[in-house]
Amino acid sequence: MYIDFDIVRHAAPALWQGLKLTATVSVISIPLGIVIGTIAAYMADAKHMALRAVALGYVELVCNIPFLILVYLSFFGLPKLGLQSSAFAIAIGTMAFYTGGYFCEILRAAFRSVPKGQIRAALSLGMSGWKIQRYVVVPQIFGFLIPPTVSLTIMMFKDTAVFSVMSLPELTYQSNLMTADTFAYVEVLGTTALIYWGASALMETFGHAMEMRVRRWSHR
Amino acid sequence: MIEFFTAHGALKPFFDGVVQGAGVTLYASSLAFVIGLVLGVMLMVVRVAGGTIARTLVVVYVSAMRGTPLLIQLLIAYYVLPAIFGINISPIAAGILALALNTTAYVSEILRGALSTIPAGQAAAARALGMRQWEVWRFVLLPQMFHRAVPPLTNEYTVLLKASSLLSIIAVTELATVARNATLQSDLPLQVFTATAVVYFIMLWSASSVSRRIERHFARLLPNVH
Repeated sequence: MYIDFDIVRHAAPALWQGLKLTATVSVISIPLGIVIGTIAAYMADAKHMALRAVALGYVELVCNIPFLILVYLSFFGLPKLGLQSSAFAIAIGTMAFYTGGYFCEILRAAFRSVPKGQIRAALSLGMSGWKIQRYVVVPQIFGFLIPPTVSLTIMMFKDTAVFSVMSLPELTYQSNLMTADTFAYVEVLGTTALIYWGASALMETFGHAMEMRVRRWSHR
Repeated sequence: MIEFFTAHGALKPFFDGVVQGAGVTLYASSLAFVIGLVLGVMLMVVRVAGGTIARTLVVVYVSAMRGTPLLIQLLIAYYVLPAIFGINISPIAAGILALALNTTAYVSEILRGALSTIPAGQAAAARALGMRQWEVWRFVLLPQMFHRAVPPLTNEYTVLLKASSLLSIIAVTELATVARNATLQSDLPLQVFTATAVVYFIMLWSASSVSRRIERHFARLLPNVH
């Protein structure tokens, strides 16, 4: 097999543009999703039944509908409802929505890892709900949260490739343009795969380092 | 609400293809899962018991499969593999191949995780009782490993079922493709994709209910092992 590095050089600027957009979408939407997921996780434990139903229904939707279908639904469906917005905005919204559902599940599992007796003990000491979260729950679940959150981040980062179906010029879309331009599938797709792989490996290494750091001051 | 979905025969093209599409989705993800299980077991054994070079190769393979988007893997299976090997490959074969090779990596890690929960003393004890190495695997390690791996493995199947919607990108006529084509005919994406989401929801919900049931069943079988 012969690899033409001139084609790699030719494709590199476009792929770099794509990677920047992929990174931008991830950096905005994943933290946004974590915020949404946190709100949903507290709603899922709320006293009010309607709040619980909304949060649990949301999680079930995200867990049981493919990301691609959700992307199609929002990209082709929202304009029919009279909501005109850019592909970029729709990408951010869809990805934040999807990330939130998964993060809600992660957070709820983390809450369950704190023994109920500790919450009751804190209540009987007269601590307020806020203080219980601040001093009892959150410090203990941090170490528990990091590995699944890193996995989720990498999973969603990889899922940004799906946005190529709605012509958002992220990495996979740029890669498709370049293969259409050069017909050099091996070189272009190979380079694209290496870029994704490198970025994922970097996140994994960073996540591992963070886990080690948090373990030092976390209680578990 | 109901008129919204029935007006202008909105869903007719979708309903015409939905059974076949869902069938292809189930067929592709199930076949890929079975292949992935077999290859995953082999990879796991190499990873745990192989030589340095073989182990490194498995680590690199798993990292590559988990570090790149499935969509890119599908494109590589469909466009790059035929170019390298000079063969023609149908979209469905490329799709099943990519899904299978992808899930192999996840399955091997699930199995390795399950294996690592079996106390090392058991294998040593089996060797001390005069079992050969393959007998240790066959009678001591693999049965327990599979018991522990059943819940995450069934979960992996639902992940695969969900991800198989990406086969539509390489023109496999599965559920998502049926939906996409139906919207091109009717120009009613809201109705069609909502209906598609419902069909996927039913499929995935049933798969994860079965998965939860299996999980409970196995939890009862192994009351004191964690």
